Amino acid sequence: MRLDRTDPLAAFLLRTPLGALVRWVAGVRSSVQRKLLAAFLGIALLVLAMGAFSVYTMRGMSRQSELLDQAHQRLDWSQQIHHSLAMQMHLTAMALLVRDEKALGSILRENNRFNEALAHLESAVEESEKLVIQKIRAGQEEAMTLVADIANLVRDGKIDAATRLHGTREDPLYRSIDALVAEVVQKENARMVGLRDSLRSTNQRSLVVIGSAAAVAVLLALAGGFVISWALIQPVHAAHGFLNEIAAGRLGGSVTVQNRDEFGELAAQLTATSRELARLDEDQRRAARELGALNARLEQASKAKSEFLANMSHELRTPLNAILGFTEMLTDGLYGAVPAEFAEPLADIQTNGKHLLRLINDVLDLSKIEAGRMELALSEYSASDVVTSVRASLRSLAEEKGLHFRVVVDDGLPEIVYGDPKRVTQCLFNLAGNALKFTKQGGVTIRAARDGDSVRYSVTDTGIGIPEDHLGAVFTEFRQIDSTITREFGGTGLGLSITKKFVEMHGGRIWVESRLNQGSTFHFTIPIKARVTSTV
Amino acid sequence: MSQKTILYVEDNEFNRKIVRQLLAKTKYKLREAHDGESALRDALEDPPDLILMDVQLPKMSGLDATRQLRAEKRTAAIPIVVITSYALSGDAQKAKDAGATAYLAKPYSPRDLLAKIRELVPEA
Repeated sequence: MRLDRTDPLAAFLLRTPLGALVRWVAGVRSSVQRKLLAAFLGIALLVLAMGAFSVYTMRGMSRQSELLDQAHQRLDWSQQIHHSLAMQMHLTAMALLVRDEKALGSILRENNRFNEALAHLESAVEESEKLVIQKIRAGQEEAMTLVADIANLVRDGKIDAATRLHGTREDPLYRSIDALVAEVVQKENARMVGLRDSLRSTNQRSLVVIGSAAAVAVLLALAGGFVISWALIQPVHAAHGFLNEIAAGRLGGSVTVQNRDEFGELAAQLTATSRELARLDEDQRRAARELGALNARLEQASKAKSEFLANMSHELRTPLNAILGFTEMLTDGLYGAVPAEFAEPLADIQTNGKHLLRLINDVLDLSKIEAGRMELALSEYSASDVVTSVRASLRSLAEEKGLHFRVVVDDGLPEIVYGDPKRVTQCLFNLAGNALKFTKQGGVTIRAARDGDSVRYSVTDTGIGIPEDHLGAVFTEFRQIDSTITREFGGTGLGLSITKKFVEMHGGRIWVESRLNQGSTFHFTIPIKARVTSTV
Repeated sequence: MSQKTILYVEDNEFNRKIVRQLLAKTKYKLREAHDGESALRDALEDPPDLILMDVQLPKMSGLDATRQLRAEKRTAAIPIVVITSYALSGDAQKAKDAGATAYLAKPYSPRDLLAKIRELVPEA
């Protein structure tokens, strides 16, 4: 999901006044929690108002329905009255017809029923109608008096008089009462119809009103939800976009949001962070530029040093070439027979010339290593050949000093290994040469053995040994234990340092075990399959 | 058989003297040049049978001179022994790339040099 994508509907709504409301809500100085609480509270109140309104409407409806019930009841009573009146008239007619006053007894029961219904009706009708009720009651009382008179006449056999009374007085009275009752019935009926219509329209209105209110409440709730959510989403979008800018490396910008809540603070912090990053970035760029310039100067210096070394090498070797060349030609008798007494000084010149050459080579090697320009010439070679050639080079020195010089090649030594044979030979030569140099009695033993994935070369001597507190420093340049050693044994103190560097360039390690006045053993390992490691 | 000519290009008088004296008692004929340009001129004018070329020379380096000699038809096949002062690693490779037949590092042994010469150009 892409955080910064706004769906089209939301985008549209944000352009309406709702969008302004969103911005307003965002800009309210209050916490997100309070804003959310207010939004939910607003929606809850809306629902509550909606409920209250519905209850109110329903109560109105039930009240109307109650009124309708009452109207119905009144109509019922009115109709009973009407019916009772008709019965009275009927019973009177019957009594006259059968000439029996006993039939009139039933009229009394009807009268009771009539009065009962009338009493109910009176208690239920409005004040304005009570006059009509009283008229009806007065009429009925009069009718009852007439009924009693008719009954007496019938009992006395005066049927004609009774019939006359009935015809002239009772019947018109009943008809007038009936007219009044009919009026009441009609009125109640009309009222009921009115009520029913009103109830029906109220029902419809309520439906519309409640429906609309519900729709409005839902819309308001949705709008509220939209406003509060977008008031919170917009700063997140802004922050997201801003972080994308930072991720793309465009630093130092600022993110502005309307929010004056936690998101507002967050935006301010993001802006501050971006500016800090921009500052750091600028610092780093400046440092990189400075380093670049420095590097260029150093490279220039290094190049100058290399050129100087190349020139020095040439300048030193050219006269040395002449010295060694003339000496060799003298020795070889090119200028004629050499007197016997010249042989030794000539050999001394040659030995010292070669020694000088080694020193020059050591200084050059170390300079190249330190300039990072020393490279190993890797090839396959025989580890036992290395040992053999070192022994061959140093045998005469050992013999001169009267030292034994042993070589022990382990059976497990691999025949062909991979590395720079010239440099490995130089390492072993340095160690064995040193051992012979610092040993006056006894001798030196070179050992070569397999040690895991490496060949381990060890050189053991019975020489002066190294004090324990100097063991750590023996591989440092120009380090000899003291200047008397330099005077007595010679050397530049570069051999061990160069050896260590060549061993490390092969990926091997070098270490020493020694006891003062008892001798030392130097070990170094060269991986059977050496890879070039850093020259520095 | 005719006498074999060797051109030695070297700016140092003592070193030239060594080779001069080394070859004095042989049948080789020695010609000398002091810098790359004159060596080039000399070799093109009268191609020798072998050239001993020092690397660090005035005016034109021994490697450049070797390259140019290899590019010329008259001198393309002449054996050239490049002599360097062993300063930086890869010198042997550079000599080979320039077209050297053989490579010697200074200081060289006159004995070895003579052996190398004899190997490349038999004395007679």
